[in-house]
Amino acid sequence: MAEVNKEQLLNCALCPNMCRCECPVVQVLGREATAPAGKARLALMLEQGHLAWNEEILEAVSNCLGCRGCATLCPFPELNLGDELLNTRLKSKEAGIGLPACNPYLGTLKKFGSPYGQKTGTWPAANKGAEVLLFAGCTSTANNPASIGAACHLLDKAGVTFQLIDEDCCGYPAAVWGDEDLARQLAAENKRKMTESGASLLVTNCPECWLTFTEHYPEWNQEIPIQIIDGPSYYLQLIREGRLELKENELTAVSYHDPCIWARVAKKVTEPREILRAIPGLNIEEPYSSGEATRCCGGGSMFQLSFPQTAAAVARRRLAEFPKDTAIVTACPFCREGLLQEGRPVLELVELLAISVK
Amino acid sequence: MSDSIDTILQESYPDQVLIDDYAREAAKIVGSENVSINQADLLSTCRDYWPVNSIWMLEGAVPALPQLVTWPRSTAEVSKLLALANDKKIPVIPYGEGSGTLGGVIPLRGGIMLDLKKMNRIRSLDEENLMATVESGLNGALYEEQLNRAGYTGGHFPQSLRCSSVGGWLACRAAGQFSTRYGKIEDITVSLEAVLPNGTIFSGRSVPRTATGPRIDHLFLGSEGTLGVITSATLRIWPLPEKRYLASYTFERLEDALETIRLFMQAGTRPAVVRLYDAQETGNHFPELGNKRCVLILLIEGNTEIVEAEAAVIKKYVLARKATDTGPEHVENWLEKRFNISVASVLFQKGAVLDTIEVCTNWHNAHSTYLAMQKALLAVEGTLLASGHYSHVYPEGAALYMTTVGFPGDDKVNFYKNIWQAAMEACLAEGAAISHHHGIGLHRGLWMADEHGTGLLVLRRIKKALDPHGIMNPGKLGLEEARKWQK
Ligand SMILES: Cc1cc2nc3c(=O)[nH]c(=O)nc-3n(C[C@H](O)[C@H](O)[C@H](O)COP(=O)(O)OP(=O)(O)OC[C@H]3O[C@@H](n4cnc5c(N)ncnc54)[C@H](O)[C@@H]3O)c2cc1C
Ligand code: SF4
Ligand code: SF4
Repeated sequence: MAEVNKEQLLNCALCPNMCRCECPVVQVLGREATAPAGKARLALMLEQGHLAWNEEILEAVSNCLGCRGCATLCPFPELNLGDELLNTRLKSKEAGIGLPACNPYLGTLKKFGSPYGQKTGTWPAANKGAEVLLFAGCTSTANNPASIGAACHLLDKAGVTFQLIDEDCCGYPAAVWGDEDLARQLAAENKRKMTESGASLLVTNCPECWLTFTEHYPEWNQEIPIQIIDGPSYYLQLIREGRLELKENELTAVSYHDPCIWARVAKKVTEPREILRAIPGLNIEEPYSSGEATRCCGGGSMFQLSFPQTAAAVARRRLAEFPKDTAIVTACPFCREGLLQEGRPVLELVELLAISVK
Repeated sequence: MSDSIDTILQESYPDQVLIDDYAREAAKIVGSENVSINQADLLSTCRDYWPVNSIWMLEGAVPALPQLVTWPRSTAEVSKLLALANDKKIPVIPYGEGSGTLGGVIPLRGGIMLDLKKMNRIRSLDEENLMATVESGLNGALYEEQLNRAGYTGGHFPQSLRCSSVGGWLACRAAGQFSTRYGKIEDITVSLEAVLPNGTIFSGRSVPRTATGPRIDHLFLGSEGTLGVITSATLRIWPLPEKRYLASYTFERLEDALETIRLFMQAGTRPAVVRLYDAQETGNHFPELGNKRCVLILLIEGNTEIVEAEAAVIKKYVLARKATDTGPEHVENWLEKRFNISVASVLFQKGAVLDTIEVCTNWHNAHSTYLAMQKALLAVEGTLLASGHYSHVYPEGAALYMTTVGFPGDDKVNFYKNIWQAAMEACLAEGAAISHHHGIGLHRGLWMADEHGTGLLVLRRIKKALDPHGIMNPGKLGLEEARKWQK
């Protein structure tokens, strides 16, 4: 089990919440228990053995989107509060404590290999052995299968032979909900299937899947022996190579919402914008905060399932930062889902590309 | 496993039956989702950034626990919640963002934490009169951000900007780092709205000045939650500055730098930032300048012509004192690093105790108070370092901000008490005021009688008149004894 880094936890617990203005959870809930250092202090008391696990404490330390908004202001470069809280939560299982809000989803995940239930949707016939493996991800599969169709269309247009596999959930939801065993099982299963696929490049449009493959799989001893690339970088590469030619579409003005993980972990902030600029006739208007300083859509750490009201409130807060009359473009299935709620047009980058490709 | 959490300063709790009744009634006022007896909520609102809390945190203890947390969303709800608590004589502690440095929010006698964070709207932005009316629970940085988006600034930048609330600023008479130009919070406040313990809502008029008796609303500035709850304020705002001018100078002697500042302030200039560091702090904060000279950093901003004129006047005074011009880059460094207090977390983990003690001097004792406080602090067994800087200046004097670090071994709390005792005695002996901007909270209450003399009796009478049952933040502001802490 990944251990809590006590020194980093202490750094945070002893801090007067110098980043609380960038923590969307405490800003929408107004609860001290959900402020960054507030959560760290509870985690510290658990570590110290002064506090016993119960549902109230678990709920508080689960109130982290993993968005790393705090990290934009944090003076401790080694501190990743989201991970420390995640590692803290992994111990709740041993104590026999689970969150009623998450338990049903964990059950579904165990049964179907996806927290959303039985997988539906039909993908193009597999090109077994193809060099490129497109990892669809459960959230896109469940919420916006059209985006996977769009990605397939793009790859076809670019003349890329690719394959999809009978994938399992990447395991991330199991980890954020405190079930590391399940997360490892899913990771092992995926690793096996990916290795057997014979592919040499894995493309994913989901930043949470990307983060899990690149950061957590190695921690779980399930490192994937295939190069992993984020969707935005891959599509930009195809555009630069002249394999995707772009034309105008019916949209005239768009705003790009940077997903937290792409922007702050993968540092992919110029790539999506270069893609947008490559589409003729498109005006790009930035929201108030963007790039690495982006603000979360509310979808991190599976909040749309486990804390739907908080997720929605965080999304509304983010939506207020956008210019009024643009279509929102993003590159994450959770962000799309969150930002859709006020009825504005929201597209994933692949969907925009699919309607712009000649 | 069960909990083993010490509550070191807990004096008493109201009867749980009263709290249960209160919870039921409060839920009718604010909705059950805004009333909590959740353990995580109680544990999280029980302390602020008082260093003693950090000492206890490392030991797994808390100072005291509240019994209920509630989040009102409007002034009307605050009024009803207070009236209900007043009827039942349950203590109420207003809670902003817990960045206070003197134990101000510790629920010594249990009761209700009234968390204001759901009152976080800007009610109006008056662009003609340059005023914003803002609810007290809004986070400082988010207040400034909303103003910036509309082309304005609130001019108030405490180092805790990102972790304090507007209500906390008002309740503690806070001072921002740019205060020499924009004023302290009391200068920025046009009027405020507050609720008395019996539920009465009142507010001042948002005109620049009145001669209609004392400004009752301004009585709440610095009241630290002991008189009632501040629910909103109308604050001055400014257009975003057109121009910013940065300069820094080093002096061989602190006294020369102080004299220079006195002269340019008395000549009528108002730079936003004037900070003068002793040689030790110059070395700590600006290592590139070494630790032999004292650095003065200046930031002037606003209208271009005024900024240029002020820069010219200041330069004349500075150069007359044979200061060395060290350019703007040190100010840029300061601007970049001014919110970084990571060293505090690190030192506490290494077994240190540290604190900052800010006092207010006139010019005649600005230097002698520094020397006296430094000497007193260094004389305390365990002290490793006592340094200082002047962080806010006026035509009449300056705020002196001492920083002290010690490695006292096991009895950290006692060491803490000793350094404060030494510092406060030295400060009072020099005729300086015991606080410039952090306020009194729990701990500094020990010197309120020395500070105010009979004035404290007046304050106590006001408290008694407004809060006859003593429900508001009991044990704070030196208004009554804090039994367990005083021991
Ligand atoms: C790193 C750091 C730097 C700091 N820098 C500065 C600085 O530069 N300048 C400065 O002035 N201070 C500074 N402070 C001190 C502190 O931030 C201020 O006192 C701040 O104003 C407190 O705001 P808060 O919302 O955190 O209040 P809290 O800590 O929540 O409360 C402080 C007191 O005010 C009362 N209170 C809070 N809100 C209300 C309300 N709405 N109505 C009535 N009473 C209320 C509380 O009961 C308590 O007694 C600093 C603190 C830290 C930790
Ligand atoms: S994440 Fe960093 S800035 Fe935020 S509370 Fe923790 S230590 Fe402070
Ligand atoms: S990762 Fe996001 S939600 Fe979690 S504490 Fe940091 S800012 Fe808050």
